[in-house]
Parts: sequence; C-alpha cells; structure tokens
Amino acid sequence: MRNLSLVKPASQLKEEQRHTEEILLESVGIAFFRGSVAEISGGPSSGKASLTLSIIAKLTTAGEICAVVDSAGGFDPPSAVLAGVKLENLLWVKCAGDIEKAFTAADHLVQAKGFGAIWLNLNGLPASKLQLVPKTYWYRYRTRVKDTPTLVIATADEPVTGSASQSAFVFSRERTEWSGSGRFKLLREFHIAMHSRKQFYGRPIPARIEADYRNV
Amino acid sequence: MSRSYACIVSPNAKEDKEALVSVAHQFAYSIEVLDDGILFDVSGLERLIGKRSLIARKILEELQKHNVPGSVAVAETIETATLLARQNDGVSNVVHSPDTFQKLPLSDLPIERDTLNVFTDLGLRRVEDLIEIPREELIGRYGREFEEIIDIAEQKSSAVLTPNLKESESSWSYLLDSPVEDFEQLIFLLNHGLDDLFVRIAHIGLSTEQLDLLFELSNRTKRKYQIKTSFPTLERSFWLKLINLRVSLDPPEAGIKAVNVIAHFTKPRPSQTGLYAVSRPEPQSLLLTVNKLKKLVGEENVGVPVIIDQRAAEAFTLDAEAMPAGRESIESGPAKPIIAFSYFRPPIRAEVLVREGRLVFLRTKYFSGHVIEYSGVWRANSKWWENSWKTQEWDVEVEAQGVYRLCKVGHEWFLIGEYD
Repeated sequence: MRNLSLVKPASQLKEEQRHTEEILLESVGIAFFRGSVAEISGGPSSGKASLTLSIIAKLTTAGEICAVVDSAGGFDPPSAVLAGVKLENLLWVKCAGDIEKAFTAADHLVQAKGFGAIWLNLNGLPASKLQLVPKTYWYRYRTRVKDTPTLVIATADEPVTGSASQSAFVFSRERTEWSGSGRFKLLREFHIAMHSRKQFYGRPIPARIEADYRNV
Repeated sequence: MSRSYACIVSPNAKEDKEALVSVAHQFAYSIEVLDDGILFDVSGLERLIGKRSLIARKILEELQKHNVPGSVAVAETIETATLLARQNDGVSNVVHSPDTFQKLPLSDLPIERDTLNVFTDLGLRRVEDLIEIPREELIGRYGREFEEIIDIAEQKSSAVLTPNLKESESSWSYLLDSPVEDFEQLIFLLNHGLDDLFVRIAHIGLSTEQLDLLFELSNRTKRKYQIKTSFPTLERSFWLKLINLRVSLDPPEAGIKAVNVIAHFTKPRPSQTGLYAVSRPEPQSLLLTVNKLKKLVGEENVGVPVIIDQRAAEAFTLDAEAMPAGRESIESGPAKPIIAFSYFRPPIRAEVLVREGRLVFLRTKYFSGHVIEYSGVWRANSKWWENSWKTQEWDVEVEAQGVYRLCKVGHEWFLIGEYD
C-alpha cells in the first residue's frame, strides 16, 4: 500500500495533460512553475514590469486568461500591447493604492481557478506599508493555486513573499544604453542581472530588455 | 376519464390575441392558437368548477372582463368544441352547448362539395341526419377516409391539441407580509422561487441568460435589476450569488414589499470541451469573480483594458462592461522583452536644476540625484474639440535611481512614471 503513494491521482494526471507545468521564457532563459507563487523584486527601472508582461504575453497569446491587480494604478496598457499581451484576454483590476483591496482582489482571483497568471503588481508601494501585510496571505495564495494552472506573480520593490514563493528573483539594472549624442538621444536598452533568491550559490542570469518606439 | 376542450372563436382574434391567451391561461397550460380564436384543454376543471356548461360560462365571464367579443364552446372533442364555437361567428359572447352539435348543418363538417350535394339531394342536412345512417354503409360508399368525418359527427374524434404558443419568458413573484429592509433575508425565498422557475424552464428544454428582478418597495416605488450572463445556465446557486452581488452593489432605497423574477428563455448551452484547449476559468466562476471584484473596488475599476484610437495623452481606458474573451492568437509574442512603462499615480512633484539648457539635478520627496543621461524634450499636443492638451516630456536617468519620464507643466516639474 505504501507504494501507492507514489502513484499520481487521476485528477493530477488530467491537469498535467491539459497544460505544461512550466512557463518558459526563452528570451531570458528562466522558467516559472504553474500552481505556484513567483516573486520578482528589484529597485527602480530593473525590468520587473517588462519581464512580467513577457510572461503574460506568452499566456494571453495562447488564449489563456490572465489578470493584473494594479495596486498603485501604474499599469500601462500600451506597454502591454508592445510586449505582445492580448488585451482582450486580460482582466484589469485597479485598486488605487489600497493594499488591502489589492490583496483581497488577488484572493478572489486565485479562488476562481483557471487563470493563466495573476500579476499582483505592488510596484511603487512603500515597503513600510507592504511589511504590514500578513505573510499568511502568501501561504493562502500558494495553497489556493496548488494543482491549478495558475501562476501568481508578485512584483515589488523589495522581496515580500518570504518562503511562500517557489521561485523568487531579485532584479537589478546594471547599465542603461542610450543611442545618439548631444541633445538627440534615445533610451535603447536596460542590461539586467537576475539573482535567484532560492539558489544561494547560483550565478546571476544576465538579460537585455529593449525600448520599443512603435506606435500602438 | 373523459377529456374536455374549450374553444373561443372571436371576430377580432388577431387583434385580441393577447387577451385571448390571457383568458386561456387562467384555465389551462395546454393552449393552441387558431387563426380565428384559441383552443385549450380544460380537462379536470369539472371537479373545480362543475359541468362543462359552467366552465363555458366562467370562460365567457373572463372574456367579458377583457371586453373581447367571441363565442365559447366546451366539449369532449376538439372538433366538437371548434365547430360549435365557430357557429354564429361574429356574435358577441355566446356559449354553445354540446347538445346543439347534432343540429349543426353538414356543411360545417369537412365534407367534399360533391358528397355534400348528394347528401342534400338525399335530404340529409344536419349532423343528426348523418348519424342515423349505418357507419359501414357510409364507409363502403365513400371509403375509409370518410371514417374521420363520421367520428367527428359522433363526437368520437381522437384529434389532439397541439400547443403552439411560444413564450419568451416565465416569471415568479412573491408578496411579503411586511417590508424587508435587508435583501439578504430574502435569499432563501428567492432560492425557492428560482428553483420553481428553473424547473419550469428546464421542463420545456430551454435555459436562460437574463433574469429581470423587480422589487416593489415600501415607498411605493419599484426597483428593477437586469442581470445578464454571457452564457445560458440554470444553475441556481450561481444565479443567487450573482443576484446577491448585483443587489448589494446598488441596494434598494426602501424596504422590499414584493419580489418578481422574470426569466427570459434562450437555448441551452451545448457543453463540449476540447482535449487540447487551454484551461480558463469556468464562465460562471469568471463572472462571479468579476462581480465580487466590482463590489470590492468599484464597478468602474474592473474590466478589460482597451487602447483608444485617438490622439490623447493617455490613449487607453478600462472597459468595465467587457469580460476577458480567452481568444487564441496565431501570431506569437515578441522574442525579446521590451522596456515597459509604469505610471506614478499621482505624479511625483520634482525640482529640477537646469544649467545652460541641460537637466543637471533632480530632487523629489523620495529621492534625489544627478541626471546622468536624458532624451528630449518631447513635445506633444492636441486641440481636438474641447479637450486640448499639451505636454513637454523628457526621459531622464537619475544617478543610483531609475529611468523616469519627466514632465513640465507651466513652471512645475513632475515625474509621471518610470521605465521598468
């Protein structure tokens, strides 16, 4: 009978057939696991929003429904379109700076089950406020999304999820590339270093994100 | 057990159709609308009302209440009732007794003209005359098809009523003894009502995607809620949650005295899931979640982002009416991530040191630093209709901080967002 514990339940096998467990971002060489909480933290202009939009673009293009919990109202739909996000597959929840509402909204979303990704965008909120949020929220999200296809992505200036997240990256901007000279310059690239908080001895992963001046 | 059918024939049947249907509905569920009137099954009403003549009188009384002219007949067979009612067509409000059926002229029966002429020559003019002739002789002379006419004459026809009244909605209502202030107290009652309503809808093989909820309030006003889903469903618990969320978003201003629920019919949803379809929230679950979120953060703050095709400073909006579609796209997303922009709400006031036309130093209440690089000035404006706007913007990289979009309005500087 003990060996039976190694056998996966039919419900889990069914879920696995329906979607891959990993969401792989080939461009930067990192993968996120469905049914878990992922964290991307970093200082200003470190590429948190850019990378998260890449994940959401990948999922919405495949027809999955994703959600953005816009805690501070910073979400910019034209940037999302440039990143390849299909806006018709995206649910936008504006919380106007109310942290409590943002966490409750994320809670409602994880309970719905079936979302591809839920982005809890805490960028721009002061760390002092975020520290007041009970850590139990994150464990609650982790439990809720377990065995579902949903990836919860939290982005903030400082790490917030503690050990509740399965993957956690700290982003930092190494340098900024500008083109042109004198008065005629253009922002071109961010060179980003991504450190995993879960692999203490791992090397930082380098990545480049480019400016896109197309008209949406 | 014998059956009873009622027929009303009215000279203005088309104009008075609604009134006729309303009258018929008071006596029967099984109703067939005819070109010149209405036919309905009143079997079983004998126990409640009495003999057929009394049923006919009751129907006539209802007709008079609705001011509809017509003749009424109640009989054991459909043909008898119809033929009797059609007698004296045009005369207002008459009841015909089945006993008079035998006095009807043979020309009222569906007999071919040649045969009818022969009968007239033979002196057979009324139904009672035809019944006198042995059945076998008539069949032997006019064939098996004539058996149907004999059955009609003998009031033995087995024709069945074909309900053809297509309803588009069904309703349930409840009048309370005293007004109820809190809608949540009515949930159990509504649960019962929806159960009753949905059983009726399911019985006719239909479903619903719109419920109209009408409250009569204690301040003598009415309050209507129209609740729609994007898919038909008869899941009671789902509708209850949706109704509760909708009413709690915008509660009635006074106590509720009466509840009326109207369900609009629609075809049921075919459920077929694809083996390789990507997983999405169930439509019920998505709709409920969106409504919960609207209750939490306000109706205008939950929806689908939409890019507006116009020249505006922030050319996007949130469509609170729309729901995520979950549509697949053939094209794949860009291979490389792009630099995204995030707004500061509200914009952060800044002090900027400008030296020899160059941005040198930037200070806000959160940080300060030398401007390492910048691009701009980017000027944009529009005077389209009344909403004219004008911006002067720079992209600035601040030492040991981030890359921001700086905006100048008059003599004041603001950071309106960050490249992230």
